[in-house]
Amino acid sequence: MVSTVGRIRRLTAEGLNNDFEREARARVAYYASRPEQIERRLRELDDEWDIERVIELEVAGTVFTGFFLGITLSKKWFLLPAIASAMLLLHSARGTYPLLPLLRRLGFRSANEIARERYALKAVRGDFEGVSESEEQKRVQTAFDAAQPSGPSAQRPYVRSV
Amino acid sequence: MRTPPPGATRVEQSTRREVNQKISRRTQATVASAAVSLDHIERRLAELDREWDIERALQTNFGIINVASIILGGLVARPWFLLTGVAAGFMAKHALEGWCPPVPVLRRLGFRTAREIAQERYALKALRGDFEDVDASKPHQALAAAAIDHGR
Repeated sequence: MVSTVGRIRRLTAEGLNNDFEREARARVAYYASRPEQIERRLRELDDEWDIERVIELEVAGTVFTGFFLGITLSKKWFLLPAIASAMLLLHSARGTYPLLPLLRRLGFRSANEIARERYALKAVRGDFEGVSESEEQKRVQTAFDAAQPSGPSAQRPYVRSV
Repeated sequence: MRTPPPGATRVEQSTRREVNQKISRRTQATVASAAVSLDHIERRLAELDREWDIERALQTNFGIINVASIILGGLVARPWFLLTGVAAGFMAKHALEGWCPPVPVLRRLGFRTAREIAQERYALKALRGDFEDVDASKPHQALAAAAIDHGR
């Protein structure tokens, strides 16, 4: 079975992958000189639509359209949701999906690419600095807390600021 | 109109607190048991790459329900087609709000979000010392390059 992480990148043109990486690097470099803005960027990353979410919404729309036309016009329209669902199964098993090249070109990233930017920003901010210095027994706890997606102090439940 | 929860946390926000906490405790326990040696950390990181996150499980689930309902609707009885429409509605609801009927079941079974898996991955990477040379005394460019290179 294809691994969950990396399957989107493997199925994307090399040039596009490099663009995504270059842009993420440039953003991390930008925020490295403005650490006080990193918190806000981390929240933006939480709001970013990853590619799986986009695919799910697109399939839902296609399936519903086919269903609606199928019950109002002709049963033949059910072929559309059947194909869309088969493609979704193919995507979950192998990662490939007919609209993947288009969605990547539109700039949608995988959850893993977003996580890489998030943790680079957290490292730049110094979230992981305490890990190697902490005592042996506390090191796991320190690392686990430092890797909280919203920050080391995010023991509190995530609250969205509007 | 209520704003939908942010993308990355929408599933956690629509999961009961006790279930989230149980998943978090289990994650911390696996970090602790992998932290014993570099070999264990490497092996655990490779496992994490293969772990199915909840989106992948749900996509499989939706795909199977849709295909089954269309086959049953075409061959057995038309009312089965209704299931296709209902499933599509729930899939859209899930994409927007992070909730659909299988989510509570899958969460209880221990399926994690990509975000929860990433927390374990980066905690292990920090324990391995991946971020040790991301040192604030470096110039900004070098600091940023070190941080993103270690995210691989």
